[in-house]
Amino acid sequence: MDQSAFVAGFDEVVDNALYWLSDNAAFLFDFIRTVLEGLYDGVLWLLTLPPFYVIAVIAGLLAWRLLGIGFAAGIAAALACCAWMGLWDETMSTLALVIAATVIALAISLPIGVAAGLMPRLDRALVPVLDLIQTLPPYIYLLPAIALLGFGPATALIATVIVAMPPAIRLTSLGIHMTPNEFIELGQAVGTSRWQMFWKIRMPFAVPAIMAGINQSLMMAFGMVVIAGIVGSGGLGETIYGAIRTLDIATSINASIAIVILTMMLDRLTQSAATKRGAK
Amino acid sequence: MDIKNSDAAEVLIDCQSVWKVFGEKSTEAIRSITQRGLTKKQILQEFNCVVGVSDASLQVRRGEIFCIMGLSGSGKSTLIRLLNRLIAPSLGKVLVKGRDIAALNDADLRQMRAKNIGMVFQSVALLPQRNVLENAAFGLEVQGVGRDERNRAAEAALAKVGLADWTQRYPSELSGGMQQRVGLARALTSDPEIILMDEPFSALDPLIRRQLQDEFRQLTKDLGKSAVFITHDLDEAIRIGDRIAIMKDGVIIQVGTAEEIVMNPADQYVADFVAGISRLHLVKAHSLMAPVAGYAGNVDALPRCAPDADIDALIGAITGGHSDAVAIADNGGIVGIVTIRNLLLGVRGETADASRAA
Repeated sequence: MDQSAFVAGFDEVVDNALYWLSDNAAFLFDFIRTVLEGLYDGVLWLLTLPPFYVIAVIAGLLAWRLLGIGFAAGIAAALACCAWMGLWDETMSTLALVIAATVIALAISLPIGVAAGLMPRLDRALVPVLDLIQTLPPYIYLLPAIALLGFGPATALIATVIVAMPPAIRLTSLGIHMTPNEFIELGQAVGTSRWQMFWKIRMPFAVPAIMAGINQSLMMAFGMVVIAGIVGSGGLGETIYGAIRTLDIATSINASIAIVILTMMLDRLTQSAATKRGAK
Repeated sequence: MDIKNSDAAEVLIDCQSVWKVFGEKSTEAIRSITQRGLTKKQILQEFNCVVGVSDASLQVRRGEIFCIMGLSGSGKSTLIRLLNRLIAPSLGKVLVKGRDIAALNDADLRQMRAKNIGMVFQSVALLPQRNVLENAAFGLEVQGVGRDERNRAAEAALAKVGLADWTQRYPSELSGGMQQRVGLARALTSDPEIILMDEPFSALDPLIRRQLQDEFRQLTKDLGKSAVFITHDLDEAIRIGDRIAIMKDGVIIQVGTAEEIVMNPADQYVADFVAGISRLHLVKAHSLMAPVAGYAGNVDALPRCAPDADIDALIGAITGGHSDAVAIADNGGIVGIVTIRNLLLGVRGETADASRAA
């Protein structure tokens, strides 16, 4: 078999597999799509239920508790700025996407990370997989997702979840794994059960690393959500994508500002939550 | 003397010919040790395995403080971990209160560690997220004891180590000496019969260390606990231990009271170790005295001392009067004579018999 025939054959297998999946497992992907869009719609409904200033005040209060009065004022003002630019709905739908994607990503990656932290063999097996996920260009994940789930937020969510998982898995695994040996010995010497060893000894030491992982996942999700504008994710990503197509530089800059505001806000809030928990 | 009493006391830990070999081929290494009697060096060459503990046997009795002294790499930290099975022996048996701990299932082993054997670590290992009280109560918390009860026990233990006012502080706010007191209190809170001390005071400065040594010995004796105490410092071992085992290269070279080790070192290694140790409070009259018959003067005119009077006391007795010797009296009878010559030899760590033989 010459080379091009082999490649063509391989491509045909991949294509056929994808067709077969979309023909025969349609009910499954419809179900996944319904669940994902339901989650996204739910979060978005909550975020757009009150007028923008209520959300700005809530974010400000949260920042006040975690970061102090200066940050609180800055965050509330920055959110108001998003509304003032006429991008409030887009900002909130991007936020809803990020929140929904991160929640799903964490629900999957935290248990995997814990398992990998306790089982070095699983950890070794995961490393190449995570490396692969992180080295492939992120929009690669949009293609199979769009083939199976169609145009819309569900596709954006799936791709975002895939991109957001690796940091949380890696850092959770690291955090669970790196419990200082003297504390493991302490646990054994006082007669802890496996359960107690995990919750009373390993977990408290792992919390800062896990919180850092959550923060990193959130940041990855942000990056991906904007890219996912191509597949009709809605929100700021789609605004930017549309602006690029029409060379509408002003709108793309407005949307970029809104994204920066959102990103910095969530980064600061989760980071300070992490250090508060860890420093105690 | 309390040493004699403890000879009759119940054996709490009985460690019988225990070996620990580290390395990938440790099973094969152990087989060739039992079948061909290979030495530590041969094991390293042939199997690339390190012998951590080699044929160690010791017994710890109720109420006794047993010190294991050795330099780093001597296997003492491995040996103490074999006693509560933090490390499983490659060969040999460890009996705790008559039960072979290798035969215990997980639940029973946890139970034994929780109730019978406390442990204090060189690194202290206080959980940084918990305050002093929660750290001290950790053992009981793990056992499922209710909050009020375990806090009461922890407060009592912290009071014993002089930290009653520090219960709400966090470990990072405490000095090294105070942290180690918390470590000791944590071990005492569960009220175990045996406390394993893994070089607990090594990282502390000398003054605090001496203070903690004395307090530890006093507390252990007052509470009637037994302890296995690991140290690399012979002075510490002598200060604290009722009996001392000296380890080198994984082997226990000598076991005995401080006096026995100083007066009769088993080999040159031990002799070099004890060379710098002051005999004044260590060597007792019963190991210095010569037979009464050998004394030319008037025995009745001599000052008297008990057999367990140390050299310091004997010097006091001789210099206090005008005599050149002390009569050693036990149960009303004179059992021996210590002359100035005997005393001088004793200060050098020799007995009259040994110097004559040499």
